[in-house]
Amino acid sequence: MTKTLALVVALAVALGLAGPVTAQQDTLEKIKSTGVLTIGTRTGSPPFAYINKNNEWVGFSIDLVELVVKPSVERAVGKSIKVEKKESTPPTRIPLLTSNSVDLIAGTMTDTPQRREAVDFSLTFFYTGAQFLVKKGSPIKSINDIGGKRVAAQQGATNAKILREKYPQAQLREFPDQPAAFQALLQGQVDAYTNDGIQLYGLKAKAPNPDEWEVVGDFYSEEPYGMAMRKGDAKFKAAVDAGLKNAFESGKYFEIYDKWFGPKGELPYPMTAQVRAYLLKQIGK
Amino acid sequence: MNYTFKWSVLWTGESGRWLVQGLLTTLELSALAWLLAVALGILAGALRTVRFTPLRWAATSYVEFFRNVPLLVWMFFWYFGVPPLLPRGVQDWLFNHGAEFWAGMLALGVYHGARISEVIRSGIQSIPRTQFEASLAIGLTTFQAYRLIILPVALRLIVPPATNESLNLLKNSSVALTISVAELTFQTRQIETYTAKAIEAFTAGTLIYLVLCLSIATIMARVERRYAIPGLIARVGPGQ
Repeated sequence: MTKTLALVVALAVALGLAGPVTAQQDTLEKIKSTGVLTIGTRTGSPPFAYINKNNEWVGFSIDLVELVVKPSVERAVGKSIKVEKKESTPPTRIPLLTSNSVDLIAGTMTDTPQRREAVDFSLTFFYTGAQFLVKKGSPIKSINDIGGKRVAAQQGATNAKILREKYPQAQLREFPDQPAAFQALLQGQVDAYTNDGIQLYGLKAKAPNPDEWEVVGDFYSEEPYGMAMRKGDAKFKAAVDAGLKNAFESGKYFEIYDKWFGPKGELPYPMTAQVRAYLLKQIGK
Repeated sequence: MNYTFKWSVLWTGESGRWLVQGLLTTLELSALAWLLAVALGILAGALRTVRFTPLRWAATSYVEFFRNVPLLVWMFFWYFGVPPLLPRGVQDWLFNHGAEFWAGMLALGVYHGARISEVIRSGIQSIPRTQFEASLAIGLTTFQAYRLIILPVALRLIVPPATNESLNLLKNSSVALTISVAELTFQTRQIETYTAKAIEAFTAGTLIYLVLCLSIATIMARVERRYAIPGLIARVGPGQ
């Protein structure tokens, strides 16, 4: 009888049905015993995390883990560790964390209050916001000019939600993926395409004639990217944040930023004063 | 992994209104596309059985071309491929007046028209040739023979496969979300992105499709019984 009961309990735990029963894993202890920090990251989100032409898994987010977070975690556990990467996508990243398959999500995940109910976030390591990609010379210069205009968005994006709720005078067209929305802009089915500014710059760079397009408007949404961890693991979060804080203070962060987003980087995206101030404010500067 | 079900997301906030809107769009899209598909299907199906070669050839080309390319490609074709052929002013007018919906409707209707025509052709060809010859012998023209004798019988014979095809059309209307038509599947995804409750949202969508399809199947089964020609269409299996 006891055996049967134990089996049922074990099954329930395995299936994740008995949530609160699942032991809270101490991530630092786990890293100390295995010598491995496992991260979940993207394979197709240049320049944050992607597989490059030489078949190497690289990117800005991955560099931050290797050069900033890893040393800090090594100090915390008192030995050298190795970083292992696993692929994670928006639908799988939170489950990967809660099932202990990965310890840290480092990709392009926006820190939102809704997600904070499920996971903890590190300090913000990249800050972007929604803007518009339009044909050069378009009458659309900011969000105030979109009344009556056809605006494409990606379905499920925060910016689509904002437009629907606060700017119903625009004609919103939602596409399931970025290529279709971008094609609609290229051909004139829509007058503007809205998404995170950084993604728009990436698209513009890939367009047949990049000079014909421009990114306009101030950020009308806030998209702070953070690294996500299991909820309630304060020691691990402290180690991750300490690494990022040091990098902001020493300037290491800005070096890495320059490598990817500087004039000679993968995607030139000069950091605005607004963003710089936002990042430094996190460490009290 | 923990999952807490929260079915209330389906009726709190705007979810209910979205689901109803999505359902109406799906019905409108499917109904118009169905009418187009049936009209094209009857025309092409009938033309494929006539003696005049150029007409038969034209109908065959239509069917083979449209049914052998994936529906998704047709959606993109009508939305991205056709408008650039029109003058810029017309394009803008269309894009401001629901071009997505009409492109989706054409894609769905023309594609399923090609498939329905095959169903209709098989119905026509299952009727003995002697009926057609007898119709001509009593003085009907070819058109009259088709309209008064062949098609009325053929359309009764093909109710079960035509129902099948109609249900496919209804479910395929969800592909229109790729060109931003806010139909039922689009709205269930919308609920999912707003509430992060995927299982509830997709369950709602699944149930609505299921109820729609079952209702159509039930109605069509009644139509089949109501219009059966006694003695002509032999029913095997349990009788009425």
